[in-house]
Amino acid sequence: MNMHLPVSVVMLLVASCLATVGCGPTPPAPFRLNMVEAISPTAEKDSIAAEQALVPAQQKQVATILLAMFGTPDAPECLPETGLDPAKLRLAAGPVRSDIVGRKNGLYREHCVHCHGITGDGLGPTAAFLNPYPRDYRPGVFKYKSTERADKPTHADLVTILHNGIPGTSMPSFGLLSPTQIEALVEYVKYLSIRGETELALMRYFFELDDEDEGRLSETREFLVDEVLQPIAEKWVAAADAIIEVPEAPENLDLAVSVAKGKELFYGERANCVKCHGVTGLGDGQANDYDDWSKNIVKIEGKLTSLAGNDLDPAERRWVADFGQVLDGEALRPRTIPPRNLRRGIYRGGRRPLDLYYRIHAGINGAPMPAAAGTVSPEEIWHIVNYVRSLPYDFDGELGVDRSVAIQPPAAESFAAQENTD
Amino acid sequence: MNRLVGMFWGLLFLAVPVLGVATFAVAPSINVWLPKDVSAHGYQIDSLFYFILGLTGIVFIATEVLLFWFIWKYDAARGDHKAVYIHGSQTFELVWTIIPAATLLFLAIYQMNAWANVKMRRPDIPPTVEVVGRQFEWRLRYPGRDGMLGTADDIHLVNDLHLPVDEEVLVQLKSMDVLHSFFLPNLRIKQDAVPGMKIPVWFQATETGAFDIVCAELCGWGHYKMKGRVTFVSRPEFDRWLERKYAEQEATQPSIHAGGEIVAN
Amino acid sequence: MSTVTTPVSITHGHTPAAKHTLSTFLSTYVFSKDHKVIGLQFLFSTLLWFLIGGLLALAVRWQVAWPWSDVPVVGKLFAQQGGQMSPEFYTMLFTMHATVMIFLVIIPILAGAFGNFLIPLMIGADDMAFPTLNMLSYWFMWPAFFAFGASFFVEGGAASSGWTSYPPLSTNVASAPGSGWGQTLWLLGLTFVGVSSMLGSVNYMTTIILMRAPGMTMFRLPMTIWAMFITAILQAFALPVLTAAGFMQLADRMFATGFFTPENNIVNNAVAGPGGGQPLLWQHLFWFYSHPAVYIMILPAMGMVSDILTCFARKPLFGYRPMVYSIAGIAGLGFIVWGHHMFMSGMNPALGITFMVSTMMIALPSAVKTFNWLGTVWGGRVQFTTSMLFALSFVSMFIIGGLSGIFMAATPVDIFIHDTYFIVAHFHYVLFAGTAMGVWAAIYFWFPKMFGRMMNESWGKAHFFLTFLFLNGTFFTMHILGAVGFPRRLADAYHYETFHHLQPMNAFMTYCAMGMVASQIIFAVNFFWSMFYGPVAGRNPWHANGLEWTAPSPPGHGNFDVQPVVYRGPYEYSVPGIESDHLMQTDPPNAIAAAAAAVH
Repeated sequence: MNMHLPVSVVMLLVASCLATVGCGPTPPAPFRLNMVEAISPTAEKDSIAAEQALVPAQQKQVATILLAMFGTPDAPECLPETGLDPAKLRLAAGPVRSDIVGRKNGLYREHCVHCHGITGDGLGPTAAFLNPYPRDYRPGVFKYKSTERADKPTHADLVTILHNGIPGTSMPSFGLLSPTQIEALVEYVKYLSIRGETELALMRYFFELDDEDEGRLSETREFLVDEVLQPIAEKWVAAADAIIEVPEAPENLDLAVSVAKGKELFYGERANCVKCHGVTGLGDGQANDYDDWSKNIVKIEGKLTSLAGNDLDPAERRWVADFGQVLDGEALRPRTIPPRNLRRGIYRGGRRPLDLYYRIHAGINGAPMPAAAGTVSPEEIWHIVNYVRSLPYDFDGELGVDRSVAIQPPAAESFAAQENTD
Repeated sequence: MNRLVGMFWGLLFLAVPVLGVATFAVAPSINVWLPKDVSAHGYQIDSLFYFILGLTGIVFIATEVLLFWFIWKYDAARGDHKAVYIHGSQTFELVWTIIPAATLLFLAIYQMNAWANVKMRRPDIPPTVEVVGRQFEWRLRYPGRDGMLGTADDIHLVNDLHLPVDEEVLVQLKSMDVLHSFFLPNLRIKQDAVPGMKIPVWFQATETGAFDIVCAELCGWGHYKMKGRVTFVSRPEFDRWLERKYAEQEATQPSIHAGGEIVAN
Repeated sequence: MSTVTTPVSITHGHTPAAKHTLSTFLSTYVFSKDHKVIGLQFLFSTLLWFLIGGLLALAVRWQVAWPWSDVPVVGKLFAQQGGQMSPEFYTMLFTMHATVMIFLVIIPILAGAFGNFLIPLMIGADDMAFPTLNMLSYWFMWPAFFAFGASFFVEGGAASSGWTSYPPLSTNVASAPGSGWGQTLWLLGLTFVGVSSMLGSVNYMTTIILMRAPGMTMFRLPMTIWAMFITAILQAFALPVLTAAGFMQLADRMFATGFFTPENNIVNNAVAGPGGGQPLLWQHLFWFYSHPAVYIMILPAMGMVSDILTCFARKPLFGYRPMVYSIAGIAGLGFIVWGHHMFMSGMNPALGITFMVSTMMIALPSAVKTFNWLGTVWGGRVQFTTSMLFALSFVSMFIIGGLSGIFMAATPVDIFIHDTYFIVAHFHYVLFAGTAMGVWAAIYFWFPKMFGRMMNESWGKAHFFLTFLFLNGTFFTMHILGAVGFPRRLADAYHYETFHHLQPMNAFMTYCAMGMVASQIIFAVNFFWSMFYGPVAGRNPWHANGLEWTAPSPPGHGNFDVQPVVYRGPYEYSVPGIESDHLMQTDPPNAIAAAAAAVH
C-alpha cells in the first residue's frame, strides 16, 4: 500500500473546494438598520422607552419605510422636501463603473465606503483600524463647521472638509477631484445623513404610539414627510443662515500683547482651557470623556447580550475586524476622546485663525469641547486664538514643554546640521 | 509528422523574440511608454534606459534566435544524424566571459555620473518646500516671508505642490509615520521618505504644467490614495500663488467665492 | 578531485511483512525517514500551496484590472459593500501571494521536494546523512503552514505590509490591520520555514560531501547536485541573518524594543514605542538574506534544467566546469549585491555606486550559463518531450528575466523603474517563467522515477503550450507598464493622469492570468491520473545517464539493488564508437571496449 491515493484524493478535494467556493455574483449592497438605536433607543434613562427595544416587526417596518423614502445604495431616491439634487446622488451612488472613459457613477464606493460604510454609519471594513474612527453620519452631527454648535454644517463646510481632508486623521484630502465630483459626494453625504436622522426619528416615534396604533407607525405622507422628514431637512437648509458671525480681528493689534492676554484667558477660570488641554497644552488634562458617538455605545454596554438575543437574522450580522470589537459587528469599541495636543500644530478643523475662532466660539459639536461664546467676548476669543497659534513655536515655555512633540525650532532645521547618512 | 511538430515548437520559440520586439516597438505608439519628461536631468536617465534597451535587445534577439535556430536545425526528427560529442570550448568560454564582463563593467562605470548628479551632488540652496509623507497624503510646508522653515509664517498645504519652473528646487523630504516614497514620473525623481530621516531631493523642471505625485513605497491601505499633484509655474506666478495661499491661511473672515467654489466658510 | 569515501550504510528495519500497527503506519508513511517519501511529502504540500498562491494572485489581478468591482468568491466577504474588496484586503492579497509563493512553494519544492528525492539517488547513496533530521525538516514546515494559514482568520487579517515587511508599517500594530496578529503569525511562520531550510541544508551538504558512491568525484556530479550543494551553502550562510532580523521585529512588536522604530514615531495617532531605531536596518538585514534567497530559488532549477537539456539533446553538457564555477560565482556574488533593492531607500547614495558594480557583475555568470545551455542544444539531437519543452522554455524565459535585471542594476534607471511593474515583470520572469518552468520540467522528467509510471505526453504538451502562451501574455506587457512608471502594490492606479489609460491592458493581462491558472487543471489531472493509471515506466524511460536511472522505478528502501560504482561523468551522450547514444555513469569501462570492438 502506498500513500499516494489518499493523499491525492485529499488534495483534489481541497483544490476543488478552493476553486469553487462562493461562485456567483454578490447581491447588491443593502443599507443596514441602525441596530444600536433599535436595541437601545436614545431615550431618558428612567423612561419606559429606555428599557424597550424594537421588535423585528418594527425594525422591518422602519426598513420598508426608509426603502420607499430613500431607495437603495444602488438606486437612491430623494423626496423634493429633502432639498437634494437627484442627479448628483446618481453620480455618487451605485457600484463603481470600471471603464475609465465612461465612468459615470460609484464615487462614494470608490472613495468613501471602505471607511464610512455603505450606510454612512462609519462601519466600513477599514473603520475599526482607524484612530479616530470615521464619521457616522446618521445622527447628523458634524464637528468641523462654521455654524453654531447645534446647527448643521453648510454646504461649503462639507466641501471644505473634502477639499482639505482632516489633518491628523485618516480622512484624506480629496482636493484633486473635480468640483463636480466633490459636489456629488457632498450631496451624497447629506443624503446619508438625512436618511440616518430620519431612521432615528422613526425609531423614536415607536415610543409615542397609542395602543390603537398596534405598534405600527403611520405610513401616511402627512406623518412621514410633514412630521418626520420636514424638520430634519429644514435644519440642513437653515444651516446657510446659521453661520457664526465673526467680528473683525482687532486692528493694530500687537501680537505679543494679544498672545499674553490669550495666555491669561487660557489659564483663567472663565475659559479654563487647561482643564482639558493641560497646563502644558499637550492635551494631558482631563481625558476620560467620550464623544457623542461613543457615549451612545458606552451607555448600552450593559445591554451587550440583548443584541445577541435579538431575533435578527444571523446572516445579517457582519464580522467586523477590530482591535476590540463590541456589539457583534454593529458598533465599534468606544474610545475616550483625548483633548487636542495644541503644541503639534495640527488642527483638524483647519488652521486659519477663522477656523480656530469657530472652534472656540461654538465648541465642537459631538465632542466635549464646549462653546466659549457665552463666557468670553469675541475680542477675547481672538486673543486665545493668537495664543493657541503661538503654542507650536513656544520653545521657551516655562512649563517644561516636551519639545519632542513640538515643531523643532528653526536652528535645528538647517540642512547643514542634518545630513542624511546611512 | 514529427518534423512538423518539431517545427511547430521551433516557431513557438521564435515567437518569443518576434513578439517581444514587437511589443516594445508598438508600445510608444499606443502611449504605453516613458511618460513625458519635463526635467533637466531626465534625459540622462532616459538615454541610459534606451542604451540598455538597445544592448539587451540585441542580446535578446541574438540568443533567442539562436535558441530557435538550434531547435529547428537539430530536431531529432530531421534525420539520423548523431549529436556532436563535445564537452565545451575553451575559446568560446573565454570570449563569452570576457566580452560580457567588459560590457557590464563599462555600463556600471558609465552610469556613475548620472547617479551622482541626481543623488549625490546636492545644490547649495535652501529648501524650497518641505514634503512630509503621511498616511495617506503629502503634507507640504513652504517657508514664509522669513525664508525659514519651522517658523510661524510657514504655509501649510496638502497634496497640491506648486513649484517654480526653470529653477533648481530643493525638497526636504520627511515622513511622519511609515515609509513612503516621493515619485514624480514626469521628472524621473524617486526617493523614499523615511521616518526619522530628512532627505534632500533636488530637480529642475523645464516646462510648466501639472503632473502626478505618486507614492512608490507601500505605506498601508491608502498607498494608492496618496495622489498628489505638482504644478510648475513661472517664478512670479509662484510667488503670487504663495502669497495668496498665505493670505487664505491667515483668514479671519469667511471667504466667498462664486461659481461652484466655496461660498462662505 | 576529492577522495572517494565508502558511503555510510544505514540499515532500515522495514520489511514488507511487518504488521500494520499504527506506529508502523506512522513511521512508514507519515513520519518517514526515507528521503523519497519526505521528498514526495514536500512535493504534495508545495503543490497545494501553489494552488493557494495562484488563487491569491488571481484576486490581485482582478482588482488591478477592475478596481472596486464585485470580485468572484472574495466578494462574499464584502457583501456589505456589494462585493468590492477593501483596500487593506488588497494589501493583504499581494503580501500573502508573495509570501506563500516564496516561502511555501518555490523554496521548499526545489530543496525539499527535489533536493530530498534526488540527492541520494544521484550520488549513489542509500539515503541522506541524517534521516531523522530530514524528517524533521519536513515536519517543521507544518507549523509554518498553520501559522500562515491561521493568519488569514485572525482579527485584522493576514500580514499586509508586503512580503518585504518593512517597518514601521510592519512593526506598528496601528499602521495596518494586518500588522496585528497577522504579522506576528507571519514572523512565526517565517521562523519555522527557516528552521526547516537550515535542517535541510546541513543534511544536503553533509550527504553530498560524505556519501557519494565510489568513483563519484565532485566533478562527476550532475549539475543538479552541484546546484543543490551550493544552494545549501547559501541557505546556511544567509538564513541566520533573516532569522535574527525576524526576532528583532518580533521583539519590536511584542516587547516594545526599538530596533527599527525611529524616535517619536506617531502612526495613526498611536505612539509607536521607545524609538531610537532605524527602519533601514531591517532593509539591510532582510535583503542580506533575501537576495541570496532569490538565487536559492533558481540555482536548483538551473541544475535540473542542465540535466534535462543534455538528456533530450543527447549531448554532453557544454562547459561543465564553467557551469560549476558560474553557479559558485552566482552564489558568491549574491552576498554582495543586496543593496540594489535599496537604491531609493535613503541609504548613503555612495552605496548606490558600489552595489551597482557588483550587481552588474552578477549578470556575468548567468550569461555564461545561458551561452553554455545554447552550446548544449547546438549540434544535438533534440527530442521534444514535455520535459524538454519546459527546459528549453526555462532558457528562453530566463534570458528575458536576466536581461531585464540589467535595467534595474543601472542605478539611475532604477530611479524610475523601482517599485514599478518593471520589477514585477523581472521577478516573475525569473521565478515563474524560469524556476516554475524548471520545476515542471523536473516533474515531468522524474515522475517515472517517483511513481513508476509515465505522465501523458500529449496532455503534458498541451499544458506546456497553454502555460507558455498565457504566462507571456500576463507578464511580458508588465515590462512596458513599468516603462510608463506604473507602480506596484496600488489598489487603484487609474485615478492618476499618467496611468488612467492603462486599464484595458491590465484587463488583458488578467484574462491571460486566468487562462494560465486554468491551464494548470490539465497538469493536475495528468499528475494524479498518471500516478495510478499511467503506463508503467521501466528503470530508464528516458535513456538518461544519471545514477538514479539505475534504480528501480520507484526505488525501494536503500535505493539501489547493488552499490553503484561510478566510472565517468553524467553527460556521456552520443559517445562515438558506441551503438547506444548514452553511456551511463555506472557502465563498466570494458563495455566501451567491447562495443568499440563490435563496431570494428
